[in-house]
Amino acid sequence: MPIRVAYSANALPEALWDLTVKAGDCNPRVILFFASSKYDPAEVSRAMQAAFPEACVAGCTTAGEIADGKMLRDSISTIFLDDEIVGQTASALVEGLSSQVSVGGAFSKMERQLGAPVSSLDIEKYVGIVLADGLSGAEESLMEKIGDRTDLLFVGGSAGDDLKFAQTHVMLNGHAFTDAAVLLLLEVKNGFDIIKTQSFGTFGKTLVATKVDEPRRLVEEFDHQPALAAYARALGTPPTEAPSYFMKHPLGLMIEKDPYVRSPQRVQGEGIVFYCQIKQGMKLEVLEGTDIVAHTRSAIEARKASGKPISGIIDFQCILRALQLREEGRCDQYGAIFAGIPTVGFSTYGEAYLGHINQTSTMLVFQ
Amino acid sequence: MAGQIRKLLDTIIEKRSKGNPTIALTTKTKLIFKGFDADNFNAGSPDDPAAIEKIKAIAVDLGVRL
Repeated sequence: MPIRVAYSANALPEALWDLTVKAGDCNPRVILFFASSKYDPAEVSRAMQAAFPEACVAGCTTAGEIADGKMLRDSISTIFLDDEIVGQTASALVEGLSSQVSVGGAFSKMERQLGAPVSSLDIEKYVGIVLADGLSGAEESLMEKIGDRTDLLFVGGSAGDDLKFAQTHVMLNGHAFTDAAVLLLLEVKNGFDIIKTQSFGTFGKTLVATKVDEPRRLVEEFDHQPALAAYARALGTPPTEAPSYFMKHPLGLMIEKDPYVRSPQRVQGEGIVFYCQIKQGMKLEVLEGTDIVAHTRSAIEARKASGKPISGIIDFQCILRALQLREEGRCDQYGAIFAGIPTVGFSTYGEAYLGHINQTSTMLVFQ
Repeated sequence: MAGQIRKLLDTIIEKRSKGNPTIALTTKTKLIFKGFDADNFNAGSPDDPAAIEKIKAIAVDLGVRL
């Protein structure tokens, strides 16, 4: 099988034995792994690379893992991609995210590995994967710089740490890093798609961000009114009750009627801090939560109905979605959506697709 | 003279995408993330000098010569 997925909840080194056994006779060219923060990140990265020395091995810490139709915790989930799926591969690290994001060095390194400028690569045949430190606060700048540099699509997520919000790690080639992002470029031999799915409809109200502190992800005013009061008014609730609406009523940056979700995190004074940046002047729709399982199932069924094969999926799913599914007792229903499809992924502190987004699953689908 | 903002944004999308509709959509999306939704401007939109300067800088970042 060109794609294998595996997971283990054992401690090291048993976990690596489990994964090695489950990899079977797969000779992976690329391995992506997503590890609970219960594992020492440097140790797990070193052990993964040592177990598969010929492969490009990349991963990150998580707020939960996904594998084999299960939403897991305290484990390592892994996807093995062999040379039937992946051709040329390049990888690089972007460091120092919190001081200034610069991707030039990483792209130059990947171009040397590929022997070609990134600008020459076919956007239908090459895809990028990005794993970023989920506490860097720099994902917007990272995705912007990547998008400036190339039209190749990059998909991925922000590393987590099991909701401790202390330190997250990204891993590459046997090492672990903070304040950094891993970039991969893969030649996908049989083709790929990207699915972005979020389970929200529009509430019928809009808000314009009229005063913001972008680096702090803070909106101070909507429509020239204190942000919290304006948000609350849109929902018909007192400002004191507004935080209880955050999860079900995030805001959406609408692009061709498709929401790119911006999730409120907490109140600060009369403003609202979000999980991603909102620019001055952005017009946002107030969203209303719908059924995550039904919506996601619909997205996967639509993809299946296209007639194109699905060899495997990497699901970068927002931790807020995972928390909602756990609260609703519907993790098994969510996992069942992917029955029969080798699927792996993790619960992220943010999702990456053209920008930094929230409460979304961004999925890389291998044909 | 009005309408320059929309014209600049359309030019960025056109030159970056070179006729590829997928790249045209992703470029439009990237511009929206940068704070400029072309659909919010038209031929009658006033020319805001500060906005125009930002858009020109964005064009440089995107490797587009206006």
